[in-house]
Amino acid sequence: MALLDVANLSVWFHTRNGVTKAVNDVSFSVDAGETLAIVGESGSGKSVCCYSLLGLVPMPPGRVEQGSAQFDGRDLLHLPPRALRALRGNQIATIFQDPMTCLNPYLTLGEQLMEPLLYHRNATRKEARAQALALLDEVGIVEAARRFDAYPHEFSGGMRQRVMIAMALIAEPKLLIADEPTTALDVTIQAQILRLIAELQARRNLAVILVSHDLAVVADIADNILVMKDGAVVESGAPQTLFARPQHPYTQRLLAASRRSPKSTPATKPQRETLIEVSALCTWFRTSDQRLVKAVDDVSLELYRNEILGVVGESGSGKSTLGRSLLQLVRPTSGSVRLRGQELTTLGARALRPLRRQMQMIFQDPYASLNPRMSVFDALAEPLLYHGLATRKTVTAQVLALMDDVGLAHNSIRKYPHEFSGGQRQRIAIGRAIATKPQVVIADEPVSALDVTIQAQILDLILELVARHNLSLVFISHDLSIVRYLCDRVLVLHHGKLIESGTTEQLWKHPREAYTRELLAAVPRLA
Amino acid sequence: MNRKPSLPAELLPAELLNAEQGVSLWRDAWLRLKRNPMAVAGGAVLILLALLAVLTPWIAPYDYRAQNLALGAAPPSAAHWFGTDTLGRDLLTHILWGGRISLAVGLVATGVALVIGVLYGTIAGYAGGRVDAAMMRLVDILYALPFMIFIILLMVIFGRNILLLFLAIGAVEWLTMARIVRGQVQALKQQEFIEAAVSLGLSRWTIIRRHLIPNTLGPVIVYTTLTIPSVMLLEAFLSFLGLGIQPPASSWGLLISYGAETMEEYPWLLIFPGCALSLTLFSLNFLGDGLRDALDPRTAKD
Amino acid sequence: MLRFILYRLLQAIPVLLVVVTATFFLVRLAPGGPFSAEKAVPPEVLRALEARYHLDQPLSAQYLGYLGDLLHGDFGPSFRYPGRSVDEMIFSGLPTTAELGLYALLIALVLGTTAGVIAALRPNTAQDYLPMSAAMIGVCLPSFLLGPLLLLVFGVWLEWVPVSGWGNVPGDKILPALTLASGYTAYVARLSRGGMLEVMSQDYIRTARAKGLPEWVVVIKHGLRGGLIPVVAFAGPAFAGLLSGSFVVETIFQIPGLGRFYVQAAFNRDYTMIMGTTVFFAVLIVAFNLLADIAAVWLNPRLRHQYRKPAA
Repeated sequence: MALLDVANLSVWFHTRNGVTKAVNDVSFSVDAGETLAIVGESGSGKSVCCYSLLGLVPMPPGRVEQGSAQFDGRDLLHLPPRALRALRGNQIATIFQDPMTCLNPYLTLGEQLMEPLLYHRNATRKEARAQALALLDEVGIVEAARRFDAYPHEFSGGMRQRVMIAMALIAEPKLLIADEPTTALDVTIQAQILRLIAELQARRNLAVILVSHDLAVVADIADNILVMKDGAVVESGAPQTLFARPQHPYTQRLLAASRRSPKSTPATKPQRETLIEVSALCTWFRTSDQRLVKAVDDVSLELYRNEILGVVGESGSGKSTLGRSLLQLVRPTSGSVRLRGQELTTLGARALRPLRRQMQMIFQDPYASLNPRMSVFDALAEPLLYHGLATRKTVTAQVLALMDDVGLAHNSIRKYPHEFSGGQRQRIAIGRAIATKPQVVIADEPVSALDVTIQAQILDLILELVARHNLSLVFISHDLSIVRYLCDRVLVLHHGKLIESGTTEQLWKHPREAYTRELLAAVPRLA
Repeated sequence: MNRKPSLPAELLPAELLNAEQGVSLWRDAWLRLKRNPMAVAGGAVLILLALLAVLTPWIAPYDYRAQNLALGAAPPSAAHWFGTDTLGRDLLTHILWGGRISLAVGLVATGVALVIGVLYGTIAGYAGGRVDAAMMRLVDILYALPFMIFIILLMVIFGRNILLLFLAIGAVEWLTMARIVRGQVQALKQQEFIEAAVSLGLSRWTIIRRHLIPNTLGPVIVYTTLTIPSVMLLEAFLSFLGLGIQPPASSWGLLISYGAETMEEYPWLLIFPGCALSLTLFSLNFLGDGLRDALDPRTAKD
Repeated sequence: MLRFILYRLLQAIPVLLVVVTATFFLVRLAPGGPFSAEKAVPPEVLRALEARYHLDQPLSAQYLGYLGDLLHGDFGPSFRYPGRSVDEMIFSGLPTTAELGLYALLIALVLGTTAGVIAALRPNTAQDYLPMSAAMIGVCLPSFLLGPLLLLVFGVWLEWVPVSGWGNVPGDKILPALTLASGYTAYVARLSRGGMLEVMSQDYIRTARAKGLPEWVVVIKHGLRGGLIPVVAFAGPAFAGLLSGSFVVETIFQIPGLGRFYVQAAFNRDYTMIMGTTVFFAVLIVAFNLLADIAAVWLNPRLRHQYRKPAA
């Protein structure tokens, strides 16, 4: 008998709008020292599945319809709340996705860290403190004693996730549930955290359930993979067999999305006509506590006609600020940005306006980048009418043409953003960006808020539009596999500085800088 | 160049005329509000009260000045539904006329607060930086002032002038409005759809008009609905102290003050004006709460 | 923390200066002199009076003189009650008002937060609707209506308590304190419910539950602190409200406190008394706002951090 044996678990949500079968007839098991990965996209029920074992699903509206979850000989689903509580944080521990919001901002780290010992083990504060310090050391927090009384906001995301891991492991649980533990982290930090979890697992003979949306992330560490979609398991098995012979079309699509082939060198070499020329660009800020942040520091680059230029970097590398500085959405501190020879940095807001038509932006968050009170028609008609590209007579036809371009159904023309899914919203945003027939489009992480399979669709749409409309694209991303798939040339930013640039092939094959090598090595990939 | 795209039902090709009409956030909020019985009841009562206030000169059962000293203070009867006061004046008539004043104070002073607060808040929030810091520092300082005491001081010094009362109350209430609007504008300014509008090359005024204002309207409506009762309360409070509305004009606060003096012998003189005030406050608060729930962007998501 | 307190103290100076200046000049703007409402006063008496209150001096000298006196805590003599100083009158009414205000504040904070937290623990159930309906009544039954109603029921009809007075009979303090507290209790309840609802939906509460902490620890230790921040922010303005509320309550229950003196002074046009009390109230309110701010910073480590010396 395995440590945890879940059979025929169904958790449904009963709301006014009907029943949602969040988890439907799911079975799996995991034993000590094993890692089970549950992979699926948002809404697949992968998190609800885990939380229902812990009694953390709000009930109502949730309800366990059927099933059993034998853990150490006891059925978790039918334990009285008090007994289940005694297991949580004690025998079964959890790590959550976003370490920025999962730690209590009002309590010191030490206090939060000691709690499982204080409440499950009746430890004295002194004992708890000693154990907590030792564990902090083990998860790689240096100067643990000094930082014991610090508050979460004084730590970076990676550090907080280390603290979360320490907090989960402090009562020496048998089972660790990690719900997207690295999704909110940079790729190099992600690699460190995954390594840490694997090490701790080996040392303590832990059973681990790793929940993720990304097959590549779990590929190396999982003993078993469960692929979920719409509340049900569509496929499961060992990684080798699953990757070699995926049976279900959904698994195939997931795999295809994670296994993008690198961009093949285009048949026709891009013409070397310079569209944008940036030299010695600096964008500096002062924070509220008067610290000077050199978000973009002495960056020079060129963007050629018809090329896709990738800009990669981790959070805080200044890649977003660079994109916004090109468009003059953020005014640079010094340096020059020229669009076909026209200097932009010295132009006033009014003089810039007519030029803005030629450079558009696609934003990261399709939930925030559309005005919630404007229908699709309003959003797409506004740029057309404002720039005199359409008249009242022609505008509807032109909006419909745009909707064709980005793959939106005609009959959704009068709908509002909140009535669309994330991928469809991004299509509206892309339609708005190409409405003015720009020459340059800057895409700032355009797919990072989307599910993997949707990502693939949007990326294909972008590629198609670039070709059809002869666009030059600056593609800003933290995801190197996407950049490799999409871009002709790549710039690597680190702490606001441009540290390396070259063609995609060059960079992948012969990275010059140590940081670039580290970055490339950290990318999880499927064998 | 046409700068005003609008919902062009007439411009839609025929086959799209019956395309699904999307549910705008306003419509969504309205549907949600309609499902809240307390808010609907509050709204209905308010409409009724507003009608009564407008029609008072024609429907009041007695003349406003009519006294009947022989009758004196009489309990409710068929002739005088709410009874009469010590001078034999019909209480219902006075509650109707007082309601006009109380509602007018509520509306006008809230209007003053609304105009000042929205303008001030929008400017501060949109300008940002030093302008914002200076403008908000002023609000902070004004916030720390004991305003109620100042209003009393003003009333004492300049006499009980109803216009002054509007201005003074409006001058207190705009501060919170300014803070709310400024917070909204600031949060919106960071949103990517405003950046998108800038990068589309829209002019500053177009952005404010088409993208900023429609999105701040929700909280403003909610706060306005909740300001009216607090203004009415303030007026009633001052009138109760004898520092607000002066006889022969009447207001609910004044009637309650009379009622409180004579409640031992004539309790109806306290209870009916009290009910009128409370009913109005209940309606406004229920409507305000309902609007907040309906317009809250967090509940509006998904 | 010390930096923050000093900073806020410095900020209080312009506020107080505005209060003093505005009060001083507003009073001088009043139509007619302070003695003109009286029956005709012989010119020589008027002149003597003006000299006594320094009204014969230029306005600027009067203003500076008043400021100087204030610095020494001297509010000057009363216009209406010759021979009594404003200081004396303020301090004769203060203890009563302070006691009343304190009771009301305690009731509002303790009762309000408890009700709010209880409601927030089970939103949209009877446990939520009951206290929140009570709170709605508290909001919609203002003190000047609730006070007389309570008196009517418990004083006149049931005769459980006397209809006026303060500290003469045991139990005569209950109704005034409850009346003054009702609106604020309701407001605190609504605020703390909102704050708790917000906090209890945060990710870190889920973390606390996942650690297997008992529910009361989750609520009290992890939830309450964040949930009470809006209440603390409201405590400063609430205190200002309580002071002005005491005008009404002291009038209704005929309590010889500062609020009643103030209203009487307003009717009597006792200008020095009005000025003195206004300034005194302003100081109290500013002090209370400061206390509330300090409490808010103390509760919130992120704010505390902001006011620490920037690291070198």
